[in-house]
Amino acid sequence: MRIATSTIYDQQIGTIDNLSSQQAQFGNELSTGKQLNVASDNPTQIAQDLQVRTDIAQGNQTTKNIGDATSQLNTVDGALSTLSDIVQKARSLAIEGSSDAVSPSQRQNLASQVDGLLNEAISVGNTQYGGKYVFAGTNAPTNPPLSGTGSPVSAVTFGGNFATQSEQFSSGQSIPLSVSAQQAFNLRASDGSPDVFQSLVNLRDTLANGSVVDASATQVNTPGTVIAVGPSAPLSTLASPNFAIPVQADSSGNVSINISSAVGAGFTFTFAPATPVQDGPPPTGASVVGQINAQAALTGVTASFNAKTQRLVLSTPSGQPFQISDVPSAGAANTGNFVEAFGLTQQADVVSNLSRQLGDIDHATGALLSARSTVGGNLQTLSSVGGTTSSLIVNNTAVQSSIEDADIAKVVSQFSQTQTALQAAYGTTTRLESKSLFDFLQ
Amino acid sequence: MSFFPIGLMGKSLDAFAAAENVTADNIANVNTPGASRQIAVLDEAPAIVGSPFASTHVGGTFGDGVVLSSVQRIHQDSYDALFRGASSSQNFFTVQQQQLNAVQSSFGDPNSGVGAQFTAFQTAINQLGAQSGSGSSTSVRQNVIQQAQALTNSLNNAANSVTLQKSQAIGQAGGVVVKVNGILDQIAALNSQIRASTAVGDNPNTFADQRDNLIDQLSQYISTQTSVQPNGSTLVSVNGQALVNDTIAYHLAPPVISQNPNGTPAFVIGFAGDANPAAPQPIPLGSGQLAGYQDLYNNKLTPYGQQLDNFAQSLSSEVNRITQAGYDQNGIAGVGLFAPIVGNMPISASNIQVGITTPSQLPAALATTAAGNLVAGLNSANNTVDTSAQLDNNASLANSPPVAGLGGTLSVKVDGVVQTFAYSTLAGGNSDTIDHFITSFNSKQFGVTASFDPTGQKIVFARDPANIDLVHRAAQQAAGTPTDPTFSISDSNWAAATPSSSLIGVLGANALQNGGGAVVQNSGNAFGANDNGAANAILKLFSANVGVPAIQTTGGSAVAAAGSVTITAPAAGAYANVQVGEILTVDAGTPNQENVVVTAINTVAPGSFTATFTQVHPAGFSISSAQVQTLGQYYGNLITQVGLDGQTANAGVVSQTALASSINTARQSVDGINLDEETQNLIKYQNAYQAAARTINVLDSLLNTVINSLGQ
Repeated sequence: MRIATSTIYDQQIGTIDNLSSQQAQFGNELSTGKQLNVASDNPTQIAQDLQVRTDIAQGNQTTKNIGDATSQLNTVDGALSTLSDIVQKARSLAIEGSSDAVSPSQRQNLASQVDGLLNEAISVGNTQYGGKYVFAGTNAPTNPPLSGTGSPVSAVTFGGNFATQSEQFSSGQSIPLSVSAQQAFNLRASDGSPDVFQSLVNLRDTLANGSVVDASATQVNTPGTVIAVGPSAPLSTLASPNFAIPVQADSSGNVSINISSAVGAGFTFTFAPATPVQDGPPPTGASVVGQINAQAALTGVTASFNAKTQRLVLSTPSGQPFQISDVPSAGAANTGNFVEAFGLTQQADVVSNLSRQLGDIDHATGALLSARSTVGGNLQTLSSVGGTTSSLIVNNTAVQSSIEDADIAKVVSQFSQTQTALQAAYGTTTRLESKSLFDFLQ
Repeated sequence: MSFFPIGLMGKSLDAFAAAENVTADNIANVNTPGASRQIAVLDEAPAIVGSPFASTHVGGTFGDGVVLSSVQRIHQDSYDALFRGASSSQNFFTVQQQQLNAVQSSFGDPNSGVGAQFTAFQTAINQLGAQSGSGSSTSVRQNVIQQAQALTNSLNNAANSVTLQKSQAIGQAGGVVVKVNGILDQIAALNSQIRASTAVGDNPNTFADQRDNLIDQLSQYISTQTSVQPNGSTLVSVNGQALVNDTIAYHLAPPVISQNPNGTPAFVIGFAGDANPAAPQPIPLGSGQLAGYQDLYNNKLTPYGQQLDNFAQSLSSEVNRITQAGYDQNGIAGVGLFAPIVGNMPISASNIQVGITTPSQLPAALATTAAGNLVAGLNSANNTVDTSAQLDNNASLANSPPVAGLGGTLSVKVDGVVQTFAYSTLAGGNSDTIDHFITSFNSKQFGVTASFDPTGQKIVFARDPANIDLVHRAAQQAAGTPTDPTFSISDSNWAAATPSSSLIGVLGANALQNGGGAVVQNSGNAFGANDNGAANAILKLFSANVGVPAIQTTGGSAVAAAGSVTITAPAAGAYANVQVGEILTVDAGTPNQENVVVTAINTVAPGSFTATFTQVHPAGFSISSAQVQTLGQYYGNLITQVGLDGQTANAGVVSQTALASSINTARQSVDGINLDEETQNLIKYQNAYQAAARTINVLDSLLNTVINSLGQ
């Protein structure tokens, strides 16, 4: 075949251009370590690559979020643990104070210790994580949710809400980052039991003042029903079927009780079954509560029925011990069961009060333990989500690597092949036509 | 003896000298593009017959030596067409490769650019969504704003780059048109010279070389076909339209952006002198650089820009719908996260920015009844509600429906649109248990989601822009009401005195009905500002199918019968975003809802689109983009297309360059100049010339003998 002189050079230039661009491409792959540097390198997989990159970035963020959430839950758990210690300490103080051998001045001393615990509990309630109050719920968690009023603290107000702070993961799963103050401190419990702070206030006051309260040990209604009290009608009477332990009359058809203390002569109350439990806010009315309050001068005892907690509360403001007992009505041979039906203690004094407050503290401790187990469960869930996320990241990273990463061994080999060919092309070009027939012209 | 042989040898000296000239010319043009080799055609001179040689008594005739009969140009025309075709393709792909690489770099994927920024934006939202229950930290909010800005910047950059490439395509094509017109003029001039030369019997070899070379050059820019006319001129045409006919060159006009018949913009090159210069009759360019620019503009850059705009529109429309349904950290109704740069223009990839600069104004919260006192515990005292238990006559409820059950309607007002939920608490009804009520209610996708809070024993209604369907959005579009963060729920059975007579009373949501107004974020329901519902709704959006481009409009005309029907827009521009091949969901929420594929559009006002329907639809039916892909998938498809186009151009350049080169090698093997060959000719003619000269010398000595030595 004839070869035109210019063809030889054109071909060499073409070859060198091709080899140079291949070498540049391989060089780029080697220096970046990636075979996918621009979309046209692998258009069929670029979309998947973008998705995988997004998944990995989201996974990494989720991992960070989980770490953050775990720290917060650990903070919450620590706070609950401290609270648990406080409550236990309070319990042992209550036990110590409930001994008859303890003098009032010793009780004062115990009371001031309880007061210290109360303040500690409030500060636990205001535990912060990352600038927000973990028990504040979702309402303005940048303000301390708990504050005591009075000095010494007589009540604790809660400024947050009971919505749970939670974190939603990209999977849509929402995990609580805390427990609500309701769960942690038994605040505004639906069963009416006092919260941790109230228990501590009661305990302190009982120790300090020797105040005496006799209240129903538990709610008196059957679950699912209500003992309705004033002012709204209709009022439940002693004959109401809603009592968990129905009030039984004595043989005369009425129910009688005697309340006595050192304040006065004492008084025997006789109630017909149709007597309402409470017809309005104390002390008015002809109801059980109203009648008891009417005789406070003789008994030293006032009564109220807590509709929310469904408990009857008897107390002596003076702190005197008092007794309440079922007695036969006039002409009756036996007694009713008022004391049992309302869950009262026959002998109300400091010791019995303290032992009842032990019950309150134990109840709050139960709520606290359940809150801690919730936190533990959430930590476990987080750890499992974290595990899933990690394996997702690992898988996606493997996919990304298979799409993007250059097979270095292969590219190195291709690069050196190209380089050899390119050097050969240079050599050939410079030697081409180094001799032509002209050289032999004489 | 005579002087005859000296004359004979003198002619051969002339012939060989001329042949050396041809060789010298070849050697001189060894590197001249387009030069074909020429050969000196040496013929025996015609024999001498008749007097005075007739008297010779030997047989045969005296030859009269050698003559140079012609200087012949060696050229194979058939290779020209092949080479020019390959050259056109090569140049078509070369210009595309250059510009597509530039576009691809400006997109920056996968390491930077829109894709990477979109990922970073999603990650920032993910972080914001995890900051729950707090006034999420300012730095996290700031990060969301910054990532959103980075995303809009990269969208702006990509869109501006596409626009720049479009204008460069026009500008460079304009430059090419000038070159083409110059070449056409030269070809016409050469045609004229060739014709004159041919008429007088010359071989216009050099002119032919120049002309063929110019046509080679022309084929870089535009497809060419040639046919040599009897008069020696060449007719140059492009797909049947003459570019040079004899001595007349038909100039091209610079490119213009005109409109296709359906109103879409089109890059067009026509002839200069077209009756309608603004929309000339398009020249079928075939291949070459001009066709490369045209294809780039019409079929690559314009769709890229359109798809980027679609992405930006849908992103802003979907995200803004959520942020406008949210509350910011100050409890103020949210505004759109994305806003146009030029306020009165619709959002596009080049006209999008972040509309929120203050971190506290970033709406991350949604209205909900989770806290506050809008809903109360629905349990009776000391009871826990079993959400899977029958509602009717249930003692654990504070207000249980009667044994006979309740049937009624909840009216849910979101974004100014009221939608109804018919409920029945009878066994088997959609609300016979709390669980069933929640499932049934949520499946309606009102934009409000119900859930149960077991701790508070209460139902929670929350604004949920992620749980809103096309039916709602179509109704909202029809009502013309803006997206807002509040919602309200009322019950047809409501009676204040007997909560148990209405579902809303049973659920403990009396305050919703009593207030009569919407659930807003206020001191009584101070939840939204610190909730991150909106952030999480945006996060959900990223994995949800959305309609791209953002279309929410109505049918201006009816579909009276199934089949291919053209729907006219109710107002000019209403279908501006409708594109061929797009899937539309029509008549959302009616029994006749269906998805149709757009087969044709017409953007000439008022605009219309054509699709094949299987159902009938009354005028005014709703039209939305079908929710068939996520935003990420849509962008991934765009990048895939950009990558494929780039890859095609790269591969085209390599293969067409190789093809053109191999055809050229074949062509050059026929008509190219080879120095060795020419050297041989040089030696050959030199030797012949020397021999002839030597012969004359001998003849001269013979004559010398005759003239000077005889008779002495």
